[in-house]
Order: sequence, then structure tokens, then C-alpha cells
Amino acid sequence: MTNSRRDIFKFAGGAVAGALFTPAPWRLITDTALWSENWPGIPRPARGEIRAKFTNCALCPAGCAVRARCVGEQPVSLAGVHGGLCPFGLTGHHLPYHPARLKQGPIEEAKAAVRKRAPDGIAILDLNPGRTVSWTYRRAMASLQGLYLAPESQPVAYDLSAAKTVLSIGAPLLDGWGTPANVNAARQNFRLIQAEAVESRTAVLADEWIPLAPGTERAFAQEILGALQGERTSVVARELTADGSSFVLGDAPEIPEINRLLGAYGKIIVAPSEAPVPEPWKKSAAAITRLADVPDHSIGVLLIDESNAASYIPWHFIEPKLTGDNPLVVTFAATRGGYARHAQYALPIAVYPELTDDIAPAVDSIHPTFRISVPLVAPVVTPPAGLANPADFVGALAGVPVSNALRERADAIHQSAEGAIVTYADGKETPVKDLTADAFWKSLNQGARWDRPPGLSSLVPAASRSTLRPAEPIESSADLPLIAIREPHNPALVSPLMTKLYQESGLRLAPNRVALNPDDARAAHVPNGARAVLQTRIGRCSVEVTVDPAVPPGAVQVGGSPGIQDVCGPAARVKVVPA
Amino acid sequence: MIAETKKTPAARYGMSIDVDRCNGCGSCMVACAVENNVPPAASGATDRTGLTWIRVFRIDNGAEGSGRRSAFVPVLCQHCGKDAPCVSVCPQQAVDVDPATGIVGQMPERCLGCRYCMAACPYHARYFNWWDPTWPAGMEKTLNPDVAPRMRGVVEKCNFCHGRWHAAKAKAVANGKNEIDPADYIPACVEACPSGAIHFGKLNDPATETAQGARHPDSFRMLESLGTDPKIYYHSKKNWVREISSAPRPGLAKENARG
Amino acid sequence: MVREMAKEMDKEFITRGVRRCSSPRFLLWLAPWVAMLLFGAYSAGLCLVKGLNQTNMDNRYAFGLWIFVDLTIIALGAGAFFTGFLLYILKFKELRAVINSAVVIGLVCYSGAMAALMVDVGQPLRAWFTFWYPNVHSMLTEVTFCISCYLCVLFIEYLPIVLKNRKLRDIPSFLVFEFELHKLIYVLAGVGTFLSFFHQGSLGGLYGVLRGRPFAFREGIFVWPSTFFLFIISAAAVGPSFLIFTTWLVEKITGKRLAKDRVFDLLARISGILLSVYVLAKTIDTLIWINRTSPALGFTASQYYDWKPFGTWILFAEIVLCGLVPALILLTPRLRAQRAWLIPAAALACCGVALNRYVQTVQTLALPTLSFDKFLSYTPSWQEVGTFLGVLAYGVLVYSFSFRYFRIFPEERELKTEVRLQQEEEPVLAGRF
Repeated sequence: MTNSRRDIFKFAGGAVAGALFTPAPWRLITDTALWSENWPGIPRPARGEIRAKFTNCALCPAGCAVRARCVGEQPVSLAGVHGGLCPFGLTGHHLPYHPARLKQGPIEEAKAAVRKRAPDGIAILDLNPGRTVSWTYRRAMASLQGLYLAPESQPVAYDLSAAKTVLSIGAPLLDGWGTPANVNAARQNFRLIQAEAVESRTAVLADEWIPLAPGTERAFAQEILGALQGERTSVVARELTADGSSFVLGDAPEIPEINRLLGAYGKIIVAPSEAPVPEPWKKSAAAITRLADVPDHSIGVLLIDESNAASYIPWHFIEPKLTGDNPLVVTFAATRGGYARHAQYALPIAVYPELTDDIAPAVDSIHPTFRISVPLVAPVVTPPAGLANPADFVGALAGVPVSNALRERADAIHQSAEGAIVTYADGKETPVKDLTADAFWKSLNQGARWDRPPGLSSLVPAASRSTLRPAEPIESSADLPLIAIREPHNPALVSPLMTKLYQESGLRLAPNRVALNPDDARAAHVPNGARAVLQTRIGRCSVEVTVDPAVPPGAVQVGGSPGIQDVCGPAARVKVVPA
Repeated sequence: MIAETKKTPAARYGMSIDVDRCNGCGSCMVACAVENNVPPAASGATDRTGLTWIRVFRIDNGAEGSGRRSAFVPVLCQHCGKDAPCVSVCPQQAVDVDPATGIVGQMPERCLGCRYCMAACPYHARYFNWWDPTWPAGMEKTLNPDVAPRMRGVVEKCNFCHGRWHAAKAKAVANGKNEIDPADYIPACVEACPSGAIHFGKLNDPATETAQGARHPDSFRMLESLGTDPKIYYHSKKNWVREISSAPRPGLAKENARG
Repeated sequence: MVREMAKEMDKEFITRGVRRCSSPRFLLWLAPWVAMLLFGAYSAGLCLVKGLNQTNMDNRYAFGLWIFVDLTIIALGAGAFFTGFLLYILKFKELRAVINSAVVIGLVCYSGAMAALMVDVGQPLRAWFTFWYPNVHSMLTEVTFCISCYLCVLFIEYLPIVLKNRKLRDIPSFLVFEFELHKLIYVLAGVGTFLSFFHQGSLGGLYGVLRGRPFAFREGIFVWPSTFFLFIISAAAVGPSFLIFTTWLVEKITGKRLAKDRVFDLLARISGILLSVYVLAKTIDTLIWINRTSPALGFTASQYYDWKPFGTWILFAEIVLCGLVPALILLTPRLRAQRAWLIPAAALACCGVALNRYVQTVQTLALPTLSFDKFLSYTPSWQEVGTFLGVLAYGVLVYSFSFRYFRIFPEERELKTEVRLQQEEEPVLAGRF
């Protein structure tokens, strides 16, 4: 029997036809559905018991109460206990895994360097003042005869519930100011007039938006001051004086005097309050020094605590204070984008929600309050040397025992036997005097807040003297044609999911972007999405451009990245050129 | 796809969104992404290729200069009525209107990625996975175990946090109840909104805030003239905001300012 | 030695009685198309491996170059079914001259469209879901089924052309098989017509049913919007035109006469008549749409044409310039007899259909629906263009092979003799003077 080629073909053809009658090929086809549902790198979400953990959000002084939905020990989503959270707070549980997070740094080397140079004049810049650790820094600096520096801030608090009319000159009252839950609760009680160049998120919801020409905020404030002093008439000033419970918010130096004339002090603007502090601390703490009051070239070693910074001070204001020869700058930061660009040592720190820290009081906190941000996860990053703890670092330097500071603070509050603690898990309010010190401490560490209701005598703060910056040289508008409008401050480290707001929609201006009016963009030859250079008299910064018709002509909205703020913070006028 | 519960009367879940309270913070957008395991954008993604199941748009009254006023409008799947444009066009029956809840559901595992439903949807509420989803190392630990992540090449959209409905249903059943407790079923965007602009509830229960908001004379739905019968009601006192319910303004050739 | 053998073998496959260029020259012709095919395969491979982010399509432009091209080439490939219908059912015997070419073109168009579609969908592995979980309400289900079945029909119709090859005829079983198959040709033609009727129509129905897109939405009869019927008529009208154009193109490239003038004349007449019917139907449909359908959905038709660059010129171009004008040329006997008028008219008709498909796919998606939508623009990425070029190259390669080795144009031999006779006569006449 000869097998010809034809026979082989016949056999093959028959086999194929026969196979169609078996389940094999059909099974293979249905299996493709399974293949398409399982791809390389498919994430396997954690499995485990679902439980709730509670904490306070440390990202800003609002310190919103947070309920974390956890799978086992891992938080998988966050929600506000007293209302919604901001986009940054909602994604706080992503921060430990951020790819751009600072993960290692030479801690021992930095310690040795600081120790050696400390006699040259040491200072610490605390960008999140008002916490317990701020007291630690002050005590340490006192011991080292150094300076404790904090950003400029008005020593007042605002009682929004007492106001009937609010004029905000560029302040983001409805966009992260103070404690949003309180602001929203009080919203129906006051009329908001927002005066600013861009229709911001606050302006959209305000009762009235007064569009100012860019750069005329001070002139506007002066107009109102003049009207209140009887020198001229102003519709807005008339409205403010009409109902007797009004105040003005903003940066302009005329505003404290305006508020004084409106009688806001003592009524709406009150002295800031602080939770009880152990007496020994108060005695051994250095004073709070303003950066502007520091003589130039006097700081040899500068330590900067950037954790959950409430603001960013442009390097332009800090650099002159450092000595001329080899100043040492050590920064404690979560990212490389801030002062790490200017520091000799950048040391990694724990981020929210890994850290244990208390939260500074918000600007609308009119009575003493104490909230601890308790860790929801163990620190994710464990490089060989570990994470730096700024308090321990500074305390070791100064020989001051600091590791128990929060507990000591809690005990001091407990000793005052005043106020009550609200625990989020059950929503119960318990007076402090009904708790032992240990029970109080335990409750604070399970997600709670302590409040002491306002007493009858709230000190009336003196109208603060004007915090005029030294006169800036007049910038020519010929070569710097645009006026910069800054965004409200955002956290330095934000979740990768923020691309939803920065990149996958144009809802928020990303930190490294600037927004231009279409006419200005055309004049500058920068189309939408293009790379460009932001130029000011201080320097240049690489940015990306968004073309937005909502930006008024002659202005550019700038994002909040430290790089942009370094060149833009001290300078009002900018130029945008193609990259 | 979803078994109809014969004992409970069908619910018609919907939303009433107060545009006058939305300040464009974006909490809803981010909370939705957290709840539904939506990945962060790939590096080449733009606002035209992103995954934003709910997206807040900034609209304005069309005036120029100082007369220009804006508002923010959250747009998500409108969960149209039984003749939803996307349901009849899917070749694989990957989309359906759940009779028990009125939710327009999408099955990413069935989806072929032909994008016909995206062409059909007038609200641009459907999003395609142009990239493989990737999360930074370690961040997969933070994913919600109740929601399956989608693969590349399929369409996804808002489903009123259907996973939360299932959890609420399971809880009700465990407690021996027929109907779910409204407090147990709140979509992520509703829960996250700091100003409480979004109300969610049964439109067919006149007592709910949502139903009342929907009946208010200042309420409107988008593109009602198309006959899609959407379940998202928007509310605003401003006349010019209510105009967005109708078609693009005729005769106004707007320049394409943003690419 | 091997090269000589190869050349000999090559010659043995070429149809008796016709001349084809030498093998090296043929390879030279193939080379750029093969290169284009490889480039296309690379582009498609990128899209399959890295994902559809390689294209410039986005959430607004869910359909882009590929869908537009697919619809166009399916419409142009309609010559296959329509010529079959005219020849085998209506007995227009002259079309026997071009039916094979039409079948090859149809095969190439449909298989190319399917290949592009497999790259276009996000999950090609799930292509079988449409067959297993079909949604009877969806036009796309109908399209998938009918096109898949029709592709099978086209393969079966192509088989006889292949089997009639000079060498393959030597195999007895092939000859018998081909003979038996030929008896079925009427059935195949009928099935092909039936399937094509439905899928050409459903392709139109794809857009006509979109209630969410008032620009594309049309009223119709029962479940079929008017675009269902308009697409069928336009496909039938342009099929013969495309056949005219391609036959002329092949004649030009190969330097041979391939079909008699009366074939061109017949195709032109059919195309002209159908094109006129189409223009009339389209005009009525457009008027109904402007005055009733679109306003009923809350969209005034004029607003569509306010968005630059899509002004009313596009409507004019589609119906008048690329519809009425070629129809009139094709209907005029004196004009269609001259190639200088015939070919541009046929080409214009094809452009008209392409423009219509473009308007239905791209313009529909470009136009805003929400009042705060922006008008967005789209340009295909090089990967998309590359894939399309790959499909084009595939078509040219298959057609080139078919033309070289199979009897695509039965009248070629006859026409060659005619030409030679004419040439031989010349010297005799010249010698008179």
C-alpha cells in the first residue's frame, strides 16, 4: 500500500472536519473569553474582613474626621465623618505608595553634619506651625540657642457663624478655607461677596462676584478703606456697614484696619485658641520668629520641616537669610519637588496616613481643639536607615526628650478637666472629667477630637500691625506683560488618581501648569498643551500651558508647584514664552 | 443579568443634582475612581482619552468679559429609561436596564470594545480603556475588593456603584428584610460631595429628597427632547444654566478654543 | 538553474493565450506592495500589542479612519454582489467579462475590512461573542452575521476562479469540484444578493438608529431607518462605477484591453440610473430630515453646518457634485462613450459614496450634542494610516496574483486577437500609397 501525498491531505482534512464534532475546538474558543479577562499584571485586590478605622486627616489644618473602610488592616477608601472630604483627603490612603515619594536619605550623615555646624547659627523652619511638634522644635531651639521660624500668619481666628456679610478679596473661602464642614454649615447664614480677577470656585458659588482687573486687589482694598474713613463712597463699603456683622478676608495690608473700622474684632475676628500645653514647655520654648525679622546672612544651619506644609515660602525669601559661606540646609520632606531642590540633605519622612501627629488648629477654629492623626497603615517605606522623624532628629540634637510629646500634651489637656471628647466610631461625646488619663489617650488614638466650648471672655486681639512686605522694585509691564494669579495651596504629595482632575479633565490646574486666555496664548505663540517657560524677574520655570477662556486677558493663572512659586511667589509680573 | 426580585416593587433610582451648590472641587470624580478601581491616567492620556465616570464640566453663560458667569455641572451616565440608546446597539448584549433598580448596567467582561455604544450615547458618558490599567507599585493594595478592575479595550461607565447596592441587598437579606435601607446604599460621589449637591434615591418614591428635587419647577434633564428619559435631574435657579437642557445653541459657531 | 526552473514553472501557471510580464518584472511590481503590507502588519501589530492608544481615536471619536474606510470599501466592493445579481439572476450576459474581477475585488474588500475590524475592536479574542450572545435589536449584530456569511460566499465564489487555473485544472477532482460548484452559481448569487442587501443596509442602519445623534438619526419603515435603504442604493450604484474604474486602471497599468466597450457602457448605464435614483432618494430624505426629523429631536438642522469646517458645502458636494453630476454624465451616451468623461465620472461617484460614509461616521461624531460640548477635530495617527495602507497593499497583492494566474477577464484573449489583427492590417493599407 503506497501512501501518496493525496492520502495525507485527505487524512488531514478528515481530521479537521472530525475535530469540529468534538468539544475541543469549541472549548478552546470559549477559553479565549477567560484569557481576555486575565491579563498580565492584573491586580488582585486584598481580601479580608471589612472593618472601619477612624482618624483625622493631617493634610491641612481643617483636620477633617475620616472614616477609613479597611480590608483587614489596609484602607481601601476614605470618607468624611461630618460631610464630604476634599479630593486630596479622599485619596490620602494612596500616598504611602506614591512612586515619586522620597524613600531614602542619609539620615546619620545629616545628623553628624548638623551637629558639627550647629554653632554657626541654627534655625528650624516649621511650615506646619501650631502642632505639638512645633512646641518640640521651639524647646529644642531654645536649648540650642537657635531660631524657631514660622510662615507669616495673622494671629487671629474667624468666627464665620457670627458673620452676616463677608467680603473676600481673593481668599478661597468655599474652596478649602478653614474647616470646610463648618463653612458649609454656616453658608446659609452669610452673604458672600467675592472680589478677584478670576472667577474661582469660590466666586462661582458666591452670592456676588466682583471681577477685578488683575493686580488691582490692593487698590480695591484701599478704595474700601477710603470709603470707611469717609473719604469717598463705595457701594461695597456701604453694604458692609449696613448690617453690622461683616468682615473682610484677604492678603492686602489695608484689611486689618478695614476690619477694625467694621467692628469685626471681638465679634467675628477673635484671638486664636490653643489646646492646653504643659507648663514646662511654655517656659522652655523659644519665641516664634517671623522670617522677615531674621537678619540677612545669619543662619548657618537651616532645618525645614515640610511635612503636610500649610504653605510654601519661595526660596527667594529664605536664601538671603542663610550665611554666605556654605550654609547647610536639611529638609524633612515627602517629595523631591520642594526644598529638596535647594537642600544639601533631603530626608524621607512618614506620610499621612502612616504618621502619628496632631493637627494645627484651622483659621476658623474659635475654641481650643485637639485632634491626632492616627496611623491607618504601618510605614510602607523601610529603607535600611528607616524614615526620619524630624522631632526625634531635633530632640536628639538638642538633648531634649521628645518621644512622648503627644502623650504629655494629652495629659495636660486631661489635667485641665475641661471640654469633651467625641469619638467617631460611636459618635459619643464624653466629658473629659469622666475619663481617666489613659482612657482619654486611648480614645484620642482611635479617631476622635477634643473640644472646649468657647468661654465668655474671648480675648480681643489687637488689630495686627500691617505686614507690609519690603517695597518691591517696580516691574516693567513691557517685558513682563502678564500678572500672575496663584492657586490656593495644595498638598505637596497628591495621589496618582489626581490625574482625574489635572489630566483627564481640565477641572483643576495641575501644579506644573499655567492657564492663559486664548488671546494671550496666541500672542505668546503657545498652543494648548504646549511646553513653555514662565519667566519672571526672579528666574524661569518650565511649565505646561492650558488655554482657558475663563482667564481674563492680561493675567495668567499659575499652578502651585514649588518650582513655579519660587519664581512667581515674590514677583507679580510674568512672561510666558515657548519652550 | 440580574434576577428580578419578585417580592420587592421595582425601584427607579435616580439623582437630583443642585448645580447651584457645585463648586467644581472634583471630590465626586476622585471618590468614584477610588470606589470603582478606576486606574490613574496613563502618561499619554488627555481629557479626551481619560476614564472619568463622573466628570465635572465648567459651563458659562456665553457673555464675554466681566459679564461672563460660570457654573459647574457634574455629568455622569444619565441612566436613561427603558429605551436607553446604548442598550439596543450593543451587539453582545453587554448593556441592559436592570428592571429592579432602573440602573443601566455594563458588563465589561462581555464587551467586545466595538465602541458602538459610545457613538450612540449623546451624553458622552461612556469611556473606553485605551490603555492597560496600571497602578503604581503597592497601590493595588488600596483597590476595592468589591469591584472588578477592567481590562484594556472595553467600555466602562457609571453604574450607580452597583457593588454598594449588592452589599446593601445582602445586608437587608441577612436582616430578613425585603427592601434595602436607603442609608446603606449611597453611591461614592453622593457620599463624597462636600456641599451636598448630589441627592440619590428612588425617583418613584415621592417622599425622597431626590424625587422632590426632580419635581421642582427649576429642575431639568439634559437633552430631554431626544426622548432618552434620563434619571439624572439637574436643578438651578439660573435661567442660563437651565438652557443646557437643550441642544447646542443654534447659529452660534463657537471657536474651538481648547483642542 | 533554479531560477530558470522557477521561470518555467511560473509560465505554466499563466493562462493560455494571454501575455503576462516576466517573473522578475512581476516581482519588481510586487516589491513596494509587499513593503507596504509589512508596514501595515507592523502598524496593526503595534495596535494589537500595545492597545488602541496607538491611534488618535478618543472617547468622542470612538470611530475613526478605520470605520470610515471599512464602510467605504464595503460599499465599493458591492460590485461583487450586484454584478453577480445582474449576471446570474437578471441575465445581463455582457457582465461575464468583469464578474471575476468583481468577485476578486469583493473578496479583497470584505476580507480587508474584516481584518481592519479585528484590529479596531478592543478585544478581538471576543469576536465570537456576537455570534453566541447576539442582540437581535442591534444593527451591528446584523452586520456581523451577514458580512461573515457573505465573506464565506465570496470565498466560495472565488474558488472556481482559482480552480480554473491552467495547472490546477489538470487535477481531475478539482475540475469536477469546480464544475459541480458552477451549478450552484445561481444559488450563490442569490444568497450573496440577499446577504448584501441586508448588510449594506444595516451599515446604513448603524447610524440611522442613533436617536442620541440627531445629525445621523432618520425615520424610516418599521425598524429600518431611511439610511438603510439609501446605503443599499448607493452601494449598488457605485459598485459598477468602481468596477469601471478598476478595470480601466488595470488596463492602464498592464497596457492591455480587458473588456469590450459595451461592457463599460452597460456598467455606466446601470450606475447612472441607480445614481439618479439615489440622488432623488437622498434629496427627499435630506428634506424630510431638515424639516421634520431633526427639529422633532430639538436640533435645528442649520446648526450642524455652523461648525467649521463642515459647512453646507459638504452637503452640496455629496449630493450634487459627487452624485448628480456623475449620474448625468453616466446617463449621457455620448459622454459615457468617451473614457475622458467616463472614468472621472465613475471616480466622482466613488468619491461621493466615500464622502457619504465620512459624513455618517466622522461628522456625526464631530458635532456636539450637549450644549456645552466643544467641536473637536481628529486626525488619524500613522499607525491607523499604516494599517489602512496594509489593507490596500493586501488587496493589490491578491488582485495582482489573481490577474497573473487566473482568468479574471475572459474577454482579454479575444480582445488581444482583435488588436493584433488590426495591427497586421495596417502595413497592407499603408502600402497603398
